[in-house]
Amino acid sequence: MAHQQQQPQKRRQDLKRKECAFCEKETQYIDWKDYPLLKTHVDYFGNIRKRYLSGTCLQHQKMLRLSIERARFMAMLAYRK
Amino acid sequence: MNPVSAASPEVLDDEVTARIYEVAVLLPYPMGQKEEHQAIKEIENIFKEAGAREVSKDVWGQRGLAYTIKGSNEGNFIIYHQEINPSKVREIDTALRIVPGVLRHIVVTPPKGYRIVKYSESYEVWLKERESAGEKTKREREEEIQKSIADKAKRQVKREKTAKAETPTEVVSKEEISKKLDQLISDDSIEI
Repeated sequence: MAHQQQQPQKRRQDLKRKECAFCEKETQYIDWKDYPLLKTHVDYFGNIRKRYLSGTCLQHQKMLRLSIERARFMAMLAYRK
Repeated sequence: MNPVSAASPEVLDDEVTARIYEVAVLLPYPMGQKEEHQAIKEIENIFKEAGAREVSKDVWGQRGLAYTIKGSNEGNFIIYHQEINPSKVREIDTALRIVPGVLRHIVVTPPKGYRIVKYSESYEVWLKERESAGEKTKREREEEIQKSIADKAKRQVKREKTAKAETPTEVVSKEEISKKLDQLISDDSIEI
């Protein structure tokens, strides 16, 4: 049986790459005390929103993780709901 | 988690110049005034002993906690910005662990060019500005009703316009027609 070559999957043309919200503002440091900002990056269960959903770049996601962990330690944010 | 570990002890010498550190302390909220005073005094004494210079102090006041710590659901955050010699930071960290009444504490090294922001003020502004879920649904419902009323009014105006265009310009009533007919019949001058 002849092996059929698989054609490469076509990429959707209307897909738009998400841009990092922190890069637009040129954020250098994400403060752990900024509760209104951190709250938007945490879901209902207290998990940090994934990078591929929020569009945050790796550099800022790492900053965000650190500040969220600090806020959790100080009981500003929940570890788990 | 411990930010103090970021500064390695080998580098910490007395020669290193003092830099600004952020020290946050969490106290339980329903706390006796005397106990609170004593706790704050003890914390500030620790800074004094370490030869720290106070840059700013921000008291947040009553705040709800995300989880209970030692049976308290509410707390009072105090954020200090102190100029401390890096060699003394570990000393302060261990001393704060023993202070009675302190639920949590954290020592953070802010990055270069960090501007001190008083989050107690901005948080209150945010609390006022944000709308609750109930308010949001209420606003959305009102907007929907207003939109439907406006659409209805527009449709009515359009209907009236089309109706005007369809009807003839002069409308003669039945009475007028009958009057004219009577005149014509009674008129003798007309010969048929």
